Amino acid sequence: MEHIIALDAGLNKYQPLKKIICYDDFDKGLKGWMDLHPNYVGKDFNTLRYSHVDKTQWGPLMLSSASFRLAGTHGSMDGTFSLKLSTRPVANKYTEAPAPGSLSHGIKRLTTHLPKGLRQYEMWYAYTPEQDRQGLSEQAMRAFGVFFDIQDDEYRYFIGARYVNAVDGEMVRRWQIFQAKDVTDVEWAYGVENDWCKMGIDAMWYGKRYPDGSTDGFEWIPDGYQDLCYNESDDKINWSYLRLLIDTEKREYVELQSGSKTFDLRGTKPTLTAPYARIKGLFNPSMWVENDTDRRVFFFADSVLISGE
Amino acid sequence: MRHFQASAVERRVLFKNQVSSHPMEAGWAAEAIFFLIVEEVDGVNAVLNAAVEISADGINWIPEGSVFPSIDKPGHYFCKVTNFGNWLRVSGHIHGEEGEVKASVHLHLKS
Repeated sequence: MEHIIALDAGLNKYQPLKKIICYDDFDKGLKGWMDLHPNYVGKDFNTLRYSHVDKTQWGPLMLSSASFRLAGTHGSMDGTFSLKLSTRPVANKYTEAPAPGSLSHGIKRLTTHLPKGLRQYEMWYAYTPEQDRQGLSEQAMRAFGVFFDIQDDEYRYFIGARYVNAVDGEMVRRWQIFQAKDVTDVEWAYGVENDWCKMGIDAMWYGKRYPDGSTDGFEWIPDGYQDLCYNESDDKINWSYLRLLIDTEKREYVELQSGSKTFDLRGTKPTLTAPYARIKGLFNPSMWVENDTDRRVFFFADSVLISGE
Repeated sequence: MRHFQASAVERRVLFKNQVSSHPMEAGWAAEAIFFLIVEEVDGVNAVLNAAVEISADGINWIPEGSVFPSIDKPGHYFCKVTNFGNWLRVSGHIHGEEGEVKASVHLHLKS
């Protein structure tokens, strides 16, 4: 009997590595992606220890038809529904720790099953703020990013990219990668002793922040300036492509592709941290968005493809 | 099989005077149930009257008609709604002197 493999036509907009770990088209549901929450292991299911950053209020995820007040339904790149991340309408100035709810995180919780080697995160995405006022609000989104949270036998590390769109109302438009400055755990956690996050962990909200958009948790990509296609109105979204290629054997970045631009990151390393308890083999793809002002900012993912060699 | 999502829309928030939950899109779903998980009710004669609201744009809200029972003590409460279009939220007023409610809002969606 002859067997023919027929691949989903939606895969044609991607260039996966040889083994597809997951192909998540959000027209088929949430596909295992969910909100990021802290650990409710304390008394009365509260969090256990004090943290300078309140992680219990991040904005919720939902399946969105990308429908707008004047234009109606945008749909997604392929189909009608996309995964929507949404911040709450609260923000702090950039140099303060992020306000509760000023970020929204999506996470999918996996473990490693392939031998160490290349891994790739691909996504078609769009973003815009809630269209609650007149004008054009390209600067309402502070940043978005994608990463893998990985723990192997020796280290835990975050490896990913962040696009800094605007800082306190001023456009920046530059890419960064996860790589921490050599600071202490206490400096990392805004001066809090014995915080859950050690240096290098959770740079989305930890690591001192500076007025130019840099932080102690990220490094700028050389020549990492890029204009993205925001479009001319808060209700016009263009689907854009993002690809992050990493090597889990070398524990290094390989390259970042955003649209038609590829940044060579070979030899660049993430920050390696001592392993945490009970997460051996962790392999969590994640995405997040942060607002720059007291507004809801939306980040839409049409689909995500995680692959390995 | 049906599609399903249980979302923790508001998590242990201390509401003063007004309750309103984060706008959720639910265009893919045929039925929705909002749960109000009330942990604390404080103030003199504090009562929360909450209702479901729908919207054309996620920004301007209209009472849909479905209402929660009056809430004056901790507990689990629910409100069902169908034929809601795309946007859903819970909105309500806390009556009484210095009325405060600590609550979570969960939304269960099913297609």
